[in-house]
Amino acid sequence: MKTLIKGLALNYPVKVFATGLVVLVLLSLPLFWMRFTCETSLFFRMSNEAKGVSIAPSLLVPDELEKDPNVVSPSRASANIRYQRPMSLGIFDYFIARLPGGRFTNVYLFKSYGEWMYFDIKTGQLVHSYLEEQVMPDKTPFRKKVQLYIGPEGVSETADKALGRFINPIIDHGWTDVMQRQSRELMIFDKKLRCFFKIDFNQRTTTKGPKIGKESPVQKPIKIGRLSKNLWLFEDHLSWIPPQIKSSDKNQSNKPIPIIQTYLNHDAGPYLLVLDESGEIGLLDKESLTIAGVSGRLPAPETYFGSKSTVRPRDLLDYEVLPLILTTYFFEDPEEVRMAFGDMSYFFKRKPSRVEKNYLGIFATGVSRDGSALALTVFDEKGKEIESEYTKFNKQEGLRTTPVNSGKAVFFEAPWASTLTIGKYLAENLHPPILSIASYFTASAFEADAGHRALFFLPNSFIAMKGRERPVNFAERFFSALWLILPSIILAILLSIRVSKDAVVVGLSENTRLYWIIGTLAFGLTAYITYRLTRPKITLLTCQNCGRPRRPDMAKCHRCGSKWNVPELIPPAWRVLNGTEQIDDSSTTDEEKTGVE
Amino acid sequence: MFALIKREVRDHIVYFIGAAAFSAVFIIMAISILHNYDLRRQPPAFSIVLGIPAITIVIFGICAMGSTQMYLDRTRKISALLSTLAISRNRILLARIITGILAILTLLVPLIITAVILMRFVSFLFPFPMFPGIVFNISVTVFLMAFACYCIGLQAGWNSNPLTPSLGALCLTCILLPLIIVKGFGLHILVILVLFIVASLLRTWHTFMTTSL
Repeated sequence: MKTLIKGLALNYPVKVFATGLVVLVLLSLPLFWMRFTCETSLFFRMSNEAKGVSIAPSLLVPDELEKDPNVVSPSRASANIRYQRPMSLGIFDYFIARLPGGRFTNVYLFKSYGEWMYFDIKTGQLVHSYLEEQVMPDKTPFRKKVQLYIGPEGVSETADKALGRFINPIIDHGWTDVMQRQSRELMIFDKKLRCFFKIDFNQRTTTKGPKIGKESPVQKPIKIGRLSKNLWLFEDHLSWIPPQIKSSDKNQSNKPIPIIQTYLNHDAGPYLLVLDESGEIGLLDKESLTIAGVSGRLPAPETYFGSKSTVRPRDLLDYEVLPLILTTYFFEDPEEVRMAFGDMSYFFKRKPSRVEKNYLGIFATGVSRDGSALALTVFDEKGKEIESEYTKFNKQEGLRTTPVNSGKAVFFEAPWASTLTIGKYLAENLHPPILSIASYFTASAFEADAGHRALFFLPNSFIAMKGRERPVNFAERFFSALWLILPSIILAILLSIRVSKDAVVVGLSENTRLYWIIGTLAFGLTAYITYRLTRPKITLLTCQNCGRPRRPDMAKCHRCGSKWNVPELIPPAWRVLNGTEQIDDSSTTDEEKTGVE
Repeated sequence: MFALIKREVRDHIVYFIGAAAFSAVFIIMAISILHNYDLRRQPPAFSIVLGIPAITIVIFGICAMGSTQMYLDRTRKISALLSTLAISRNRILLARIITGILAILTLLVPLIITAVILMRFVSFLFPFPMFPGIVFNISVTVFLMAFACYCIGLQAGWNSNPLTPSLGALCLTCILLPLIIVKGFGLHILVILVLFIVASLLRTWHTFMTTSL
């Protein structure tokens, strides 16, 4: 074993691979920072106009409100790319993903030491603590701390096996909003048990829904309730403003005010939004806990090489879905009826006697992998797409204005954009060609967010963008992708010629030369640096036969194949003798004798 | 083997003293931060002002140790001398690497123990494990990064020109260190660092075994 390890360590190919790996890591890092700097600068230089999109009127408001004669500005749905790119770096992502509500934590809520919720993996139950307002007999209010254990079979104040076990629960993230928590109702979906649960904290009951059937449009829910991604990277990038009317209040100097009160907190009224792995958005009936239909799907932004018809959540750097509901509040006085967009009940001093919530539709946004393009789509209450808008840059050409897709404009239209794009392109082309080709084939395999931390496979490179292009002829798409890494291929060919010439000079065998040529073609600059570091360091001698440099450690000249021209060694005719020793005549050859004579 | 390690430790005792001193500084800083910890406030500025240069000095120090070990061997012909005794070159290199690991552990072990104790204190504040595995992840990543930088030192140090070991190691460490910023403390960085370390050690071993003394 010891000999084997020693043998492996001293093996030339092992040394080459080891050096190659060291070079690859150390070369990938400066190239990463070069790409990162260029991409970040490109994004920040993009005009604000190209970062936002809006739809007005928003097309979901009932006509009696939208077309009211007092309306001075229509309802508007708008979305902006507010991307904090450095936050996508691994060190920030590591900590963000572990904060309450993050990807890698079981803590869903931590507002204070008295208000929190987490999933206890050992017991398979959710543990929730909150402060309940109670009134003492002398009518003084006080807050009592309540701690509940929640399982699929029920809710209890003590951990009990009878409550059952959740296996892989996901909770409605909108519920962490203080106003939604007031409802004391929580929706849960368990990925393994494949059914929805409704938890009522007041009644302390759990209602289990039926398993998701094969006919359901939503098969693999990944998020429920508030549908958004990367809140740390993109804070509140989707907003909606109701139709505005002029204020009659003189103090407000006729400032426009909403036609009715509005508070949107991602509540979809009688439904709960459910996001499927495929990008479909389903509607869960909160009463029957079954999927009632489809409310839309995540929109695909227009990228550099066009847009796809469908997109998965993992393909988007960010998405957000905002449902719109119209709520009618009926009070004890039959004439007192109030309407609001969203849910305003939290703000009412008197409790309404009846509440009616009408689901109107959703606004959905999606941000492209590289964060340069955004799409905003409106879906009506039946899930039918009404309108879509994409971020655009208005290019001035004389008196004419041409709209350019922001995914393209980001690379060429902003000041210094062309220089930065060339910088990004060069950094991508110094990357090993084989890894660039691998990036082409694995373009959609990586999570969009992870692509911004990629060192070896580059999902945000131009060639990978080409790989994600709408499915056309495979060969045509592949060869046009190769054009994108043409400088890289040319560089690899030049370097492999150089390596080949040098390998002949230093006397590498034909097989070794072939491997080096293939390696340099595949890994480009990385292979060349590796070759320079591992090539035999031998002082060459001049061959007496061909006159070219030859290796002194080889029996034959590696250029002409001639052997060493070694003159025959002739023993000298003289010898040093001590006084007593006699010369034996027979020991000397005839030739020597002749020589002496 | 033990005698070889002892000799290496004695020759590079200054690095061990430095590691212990920096470890003490970091422990005092960590305790002081936790003592003044307030959820509503930002961490004290001095922790950042002192922390970043201190970490940089430590990492460069570890890299310098590897570089010095190899450079001194090359210029003072230590291995050449030892090889005349009944010691194989394998053992000389192994003793050197073990000494490097010991220096890194001198710095990290007290720090990790302190971090674990402090996390236990913090965990009393939370009714649930708030950041499970975070100390382990960060400790393993920092250890591997320190060892990778040490390996860079070993590779750059095998040179008779004094400028190459110092500047080369410094540049390569500057390139490798931001890997933590790019990848964080997750599984990806562990895989990259382990591969990098294995490759670096193989390269060092190959160079050390095949170069004439």
